Amino acid sequence: MAATAAGKKVFEVFVSKVPWTVATKEVKEYFRQFGQVKKCLLPFDKETGFHRGFCWIGFTTEEGLQNALQKDPHIIEGARLQVQKNRKPFSGRKSNKEAEDI
Amino acid sequence: MAALLRSARLLKCSPAALLQVFGNSRHVPAAGRLYSEAVGTTRAGLCVQTVPGRLNVNRYNPSVAVRSKQAQQFDWALAKLDSSVRRTGRVTKTLLLRIFHDICRTGYPSGNQALLLLRSCGSLLPEVPLAERIELSQQIWDKLQELGTTYDVSHYNALLKTYLQNEFRFSPTDFLTKMESANVQPNRVTYQRLIAAYCEVGDIEGASTILGFMKSKDLPITEAVFNSLVTGHARAGDMDSAEGILSVMKGAGIEPGPDTYLSLLNVYAEKGDIAKIKQTLETVENADILLMDRDLMQVVFSLTKASHQQHVPEIVEHMRHERGYVPDAMNLCLSLITHGHEETAFSVLKSFTGLLVESQTSDSPDLGNFFLRHCANMDKPVENIVGFCKDLKDSGLHSSPLQFTLQCALEAKKTGECMAVELMRSMKEEGLPLRPHYFCPLFTHYQKDKNIPGTLQALRAMQELGVASDVDTFSIYILPSFPSVDSARTSLKEAGIDVDGNILIAAELRTEASRGNLAGLFSLSNAFRASLISGFRGLFAGLQYFCCSGPTEAPFVYLYDSINVFIESRKCQIGSSLLFAENVAYFLYNLIDSLNETEVHSKEEQIREYFGLLKNMNISISLNIFRGIRNILESYQVPELVKKLERALELKTQYETDMTPAAYATLINLCCRHDNAEEALKLKMELARKDSDAALDAQKYVALVRVLSKHGKLEEAIDMLKEMKEKDVQLRDSTIGLLTLTMNTAAMKGDANTIRRLQETIFTLGLAKPSSNLCSPLIACYLESENYAGAFDATVEVQKQYNQMPKIHDLICGLVEKGDAELLQKVMEFLSQERGEMMMLYDLYFAFLQTGRYKEARKIIETPGLRARPTRLQWFAEKCIAAQQMEPLENMVDMTVKLFECDRDDMYHYLLRLCKETNDWQKAEATWMKMQEENLAPRERTLRLLADILKNNDKEVPFEVPEVKEPIRSDSMGMVLSPAPYDTLIKTLLASGNIEDAMAVKNIATDHIPGFSLSDNANNLLIISQVKRCQMKDAMGTLKGMLQADQVPTQLAITRLVQGLASEGNSQDIQEAEALVKTLGSIKLSSMLFVNNTALAHIKNEDIDSAVELLESFYIQNTENQKSSISFVFRKVLDANNDAVLDKLSAMAERLCNHFASYRAATDLFLIYLDTGRTEEAKFLLQRCAAVNEQKDTMGYFSQRSVRTLTHFSTWRPLQHYYFMRPDMCRMKYCMFSPSLSTGLDKDFSSAKALYERMQAEGVKADELTLKRLALLYKEAGETVPFEEPPESFRFYADKLNKQRSESMEPANN
Repeated sequence: MAATAAGKKVFEVFVSKVPWTVATKEVKEYFRQFGQVKKCLLPFDKETGFHRGFCWIGFTTEEGLQNALQKDPHIIEGARLQVQKNRKPFSGRKSNKEAEDI
Repeated sequence: MAALLRSARLLKCSPAALLQVFGNSRHVPAAGRLYSEAVGTTRAGLCVQTVPGRLNVNRYNPSVAVRSKQAQQFDWALAKLDSSVRRTGRVTKTLLLRIFHDICRTGYPSGNQALLLLRSCGSLLPEVPLAERIELSQQIWDKLQELGTTYDVSHYNALLKTYLQNEFRFSPTDFLTKMESANVQPNRVTYQRLIAAYCEVGDIEGASTILGFMKSKDLPITEAVFNSLVTGHARAGDMDSAEGILSVMKGAGIEPGPDTYLSLLNVYAEKGDIAKIKQTLETVENADILLMDRDLMQVVFSLTKASHQQHVPEIVEHMRHERGYVPDAMNLCLSLITHGHEETAFSVLKSFTGLLVESQTSDSPDLGNFFLRHCANMDKPVENIVGFCKDLKDSGLHSSPLQFTLQCALEAKKTGECMAVELMRSMKEEGLPLRPHYFCPLFTHYQKDKNIPGTLQALRAMQELGVASDVDTFSIYILPSFPSVDSARTSLKEAGIDVDGNILIAAELRTEASRGNLAGLFSLSNAFRASLISGFRGLFAGLQYFCCSGPTEAPFVYLYDSINVFIESRKCQIGSSLLFAENVAYFLYNLIDSLNETEVHSKEEQIREYFGLLKNMNISISLNIFRGIRNILESYQVPELVKKLERALELKTQYETDMTPAAYATLINLCCRHDNAEEALKLKMELARKDSDAALDAQKYVALVRVLSKHGKLEEAIDMLKEMKEKDVQLRDSTIGLLTLTMNTAAMKGDANTIRRLQETIFTLGLAKPSSNLCSPLIACYLESENYAGAFDATVEVQKQYNQMPKIHDLICGLVEKGDAELLQKVMEFLSQERGEMMMLYDLYFAFLQTGRYKEARKIIETPGLRARPTRLQWFAEKCIAAQQMEPLENMVDMTVKLFECDRDDMYHYLLRLCKETNDWQKAEATWMKMQEENLAPRERTLRLLADILKNNDKEVPFEVPEVKEPIRSDSMGMVLSPAPYDTLIKTLLASGNIEDAMAVKNIATDHIPGFSLSDNANNLLIISQVKRCQMKDAMGTLKGMLQADQVPTQLAITRLVQGLASEGNSQDIQEAEALVKTLGSIKLSSMLFVNNTALAHIKNEDIDSAVELLESFYIQNTENQKSSISFVFRKVLDANNDAVLDKLSAMAERLCNHFASYRAATDLFLIYLDTGRTEEAKFLLQRCAAVNEQKDTMGYFSQRSVRTLTHFSTWRPLQHYYFMRPDMCRMKYCMFSPSLSTGLDKDFSSAKALYERMQAEGVKADELTLKRLALLYKEAGETVPFEEPPESFRFYADKLNKQRSESMEPANN
């Protein structure tokens, strides 16, 4: 599990139901309250120009991850985010350890 | 399907649309003209479905194993459209187009698909402007024609309907010419709609011409025509004549209906005459005519279109918010917006926001989204939209209306650009944040078209609104539109757009990277080394982005859906084929029962043929029904039955001493059949005297009860019931039916007391659970004597006591007929309280229908809030069909036209089924006409039924009959099905036991996929299914086929096959199977499978000697075989209570033991005895074959297996028996310890301890696992362990034991 592994691991949460009005910057800012955010990946749809409504947030510490998971509800601009422990690694990055957990 | 099939009545923009509901007229006078055929006489109910419940026998004809692809597609398209209509009351243009293209792609659009599409081009598209709708319908019409769809009059009528609904001006004469040239005869509906078209433009002269046509053709002038004329005169400016139409109607014997008044209301609305509107509404109310909310919405629409929107609130107030109000009101809003009346639409919206449900996706309010979206799509002025947004926000209905509208505007692209920027400006003014990515959808759009001016304009807007563009925006959306980064830079500069230098450089880097321009990247990065990292980061992000936005799932969803639809429809078919088999059997039973003896004899050949036919069709008859048929036939086969009975009685006296209980039972039954209660009772008593334990079977008991109660011997009858309970005689459904019959006999005699006593006894003894059928005789008893008060009291009694409410329909009908309002009121209150108001209303409705009180019935069904209950409607329909009552059924169909969620096709299908029963083609044709009037797209089954009726009467079928064409093809739905879905489907079908369908699918697959064959798994399932059905030949064939195809049968499949062969006594095929399977080698089969089952096959053939010989030689010939068990054979023989065989086998076991020192057979038998609790036999065997006790391995295995598989008591007991039989056999004693210590008994420390002490005293060495367990028990009890605890884990010793055992013996068979 990402949480237990040491080293350069990023502690990730998967966030869905992100309202269209916010983008990477806002999401990152929101999650900063739980710990230092190392990554924020919010994919946009090239066909529509809207983002896809979900993103990955990587914290630098497990503490940040746990803080984020403990908080409920997550509200950003009046919309309720769904935040869960990431089950899938960032696309493009290999992580066998995590793959086993799926 | 209901929602779609229901006539779409919202916002019929013109009065012409009022044409459609002929069914609404009080059709008593019209009916006289239209439907002259009276209800036929009731025939014997042989072919009639009398059972309520879903019996869609016509929907899926089970004899056609596979339905046509078109039918499937129709259902699929219908389901898609329907779910949309059901949820929203509308269809979106996108959905309609998608279905249109899908239907086209298959290349064979059917007639009813065409109808379905055309039907959806009118008022079901409130979001689409009228002109566009017409364009769409024309496009569909032309395209389908091109693809070879044959249009009949129903299509022309549907096209006319779209013209009318979409206010399309056309020349009716041209239309008629067009029909003529296509050689399609116009019908009444056509003329009606043409009249409507003339009236629409106020052309009374034109309407009169058509009216003349109709008269000359002797077509009835219906309410719809008059309704159009109201509009026509009004539009011609002659309000007096318009109003006068109502009295003309009355003069013609037609009462003005709701639609007539609606026409009137609409013309007043067009004039803005609110006083007249109010007056008319009052008249309507006083006339007890019901206008639906939808009707009033039309008035709202008419008012608004004629710019009298100031009166809208007054109409809105009149609405009752009945079921389906919200979607209807939403559609009204959408239509108003489409027609440019968004202000009025907004006031309507505000009137029902309280009824809207907030979406679950958001915590904050977001009411009115549909409204804002449509405003954005329709490109409404921004200031209006901003006003709506402000209002919604201020009244707390929507938390972020501007953002939402912006999203819609951005999604709308084509039209949204200006609006989006304007909306953002408003947002900025409101102090809402604007973010760079709000512009992305715009840029995406421009980028796709390489629209550089657009891009620059959007950039300027960004700059103007003070939104900083970022690297992402430039690299992803802006730079790619330009041929080069340099040209971009120039253009930007020229357009006066300031760009942060660094951002542009970073963006350039990314763009070069994403273009794969490594050289460019390199040179750039050299120049701007500092930005390199960010450039690569951009590249990386770009790649990730591509991964995320990869191919859509749409194709997969699509495939999945279509397979689902297919499987769904197959399931229905499986269901209906089951139903069908049951019906056939029951039909057969009734048929034979209704024939008298001579008829049976004379028709013997035919009956036999029919049996043969059924067998060929693989329709099996359930056992109960089979028995019933057999009984009847048996009783008939004997000539001169009465003589025989006498003779039998004689025989009895003659051989009294030799009479067995079975002979008595037969005689008693014979007496019962011949209604001889005295003799039957005498025999029964005699039997009881002789053998007090003897019990009759349930059927004979009930027959006895019946005959006894019939002859007033109630107490004796009740004694019989009690005896049944004492002797634990189980009642089956068919016997329970006989009990009902028994009580019904009493009911006919008005003997309520007898019924009550029988009922009470049956239920308190628990012989049968209270059911509606069993409870009905009591009510019937009172109804028979027209004692309604008594019937009601009995109903209350039965409901309170048994929670059943039988015969309620008959009771209410009786009360309605009698006019006993007071009691009726009581019954209704009772019903309402017990089953709810809705059910009560349906009960009352059906009673009114049944008794011909249609006016009252209509009032009931129009109760606001009432919705369709398909099962209840079906119940009544089936009842009418069974009794061939056309009038009530027809009235039901007419009255339910406006009923919420009523499946119209179902309704017409019922009607046609009755037409089919009575072979009434005129009525069938009239029904078809009505379907067109209602603008219904019927299902294929309905069209086929209609065509059937017409063909049977040598009438021309005026439409293309959807034939059962080629079944699903690999290219249906425009895709190629791989073998996998077929295989899955086949497996699913097999798993549900439906071999026929599975094989049908297999044939299709074979036809379409070269070299298709079933997978291993499917074939294995097939073998098992075939064995289950006792199709042993086929099963063998499947096995052979598998082996030829190099497939591997599973152990289970082979085992089942061999066992199946054994139960048929087919030892030869077992041998063959053995030979076949031997070649495989790879599967693990018990070596005993074939030996044991061959032996069983011999036993089945009563060739016990061969079985004994086989088993004996098996053990004698090879001492190794000692390891193989034949307990399977013993168990089967024991289970079958086959004493003779058991004797021989046990003799064999002894022989083997004592003469050949082969102990296995005896040991197996011994253990089986123990296992099945036959202690005495076990003991006896042990005395004769002492050596059995020496078989430690087998015994040990037995004890271990018992531990594993049996509950501790059942295990413990045989072991104890065993132990106490041979207390001297020390070696075996530990057998009893291990299980006792490891199962439930281990909680009992004291006995465990006692056991251990005894073991020590007797010198039994316990194994390590036992010691380990024992140690645990000691420790748990807090005592010191009196021995050294084995050091390893439980698992270790368990494995060790297992290993030892498996080395010393092979597992026993089965």
